[in-house]
Amino acid sequence: MSNCRYTAVATWRWVANDDNCGICRMPFDGCCPDCKVPGDDCPLVWGRCSHCFHIHCIVKWLNSQQVHQLCPMCRQEWKFKE
Amino acid sequence: MASMEKRLQKELQALQRDPPVGVKVDTDKLTSNLSEWTVNLTGAPGTLYEGENFVLHFKFGSRYPFDSPQVIFGGANIPVHPHVYSNGHICLSILTEDWSPALSVQSVCLSIVSMLSSCKEKKRPPDNAIYVKTCSKNPKKTRWWYHDDQV
Repeated sequence: MSNCRYTAVATWRWVANDDNCGICRMPFDGCCPDCKVPGDDCPLVWGRCSHCFHIHCIVKWLNSQQVHQLCPMCRQEWKFKE
Repeated sequence: MASMEKRLQKELQALQRDPPVGVKVDTDKLTSNLSEWTVNLTGAPGTLYEGENFVLHFKFGSRYPFDSPQVIFGGANIPVHPHVYSNGHICLSILTEDWSPALSVQSVCLSIVSMLSSCKEKKRPPDNAIYVKTCSKNPKKTRWWYHDDQV
């Protein structure tokens, strides 16, 4: 065939251990409720406890905690995974 | 739509799709922005509250789920329980200092049903009379003292 055209389509997914953010309940393939577009502007982050959230969601939670900064899922002290 | 409303919308859908036993949202009483909910609870079989019906009122602030909801019993039947005051206020740590944004209407309701289920003797908290006379209308303004994990 001489007139061969194709349309390239790419998909992406975050590799997370769950489908939804435990804080906002939005899918990880979507963004947090304060963002409009999923992707690099609304990334996921992992704690050392292995729980994963939208960065905007976990930071909002940590900023609201004065004394202890605990993982919302397992209540261990929150440390960002390096 | 505010983020609090988005999240409550998700919770409502999940609760209607897959309601836990003894927990039913009264959808007629939802306010338009979902900031106030009424949930009907039924005491679990084989417990002191078997077959009893209770009404829980939830109020959500704009910071939900980063801030806990205000949760009180209402209606004619306030459960007689060592952690439930006769004005409907509940002494339960997840409603204040142990709140986590991963908790939800569903997990709060299940915690309350389970708190009722583990009760061995129906009685009011020892300080009921003085508390009810002096407390704020909002139980979140109470400085709770959590001292009893047995019930």
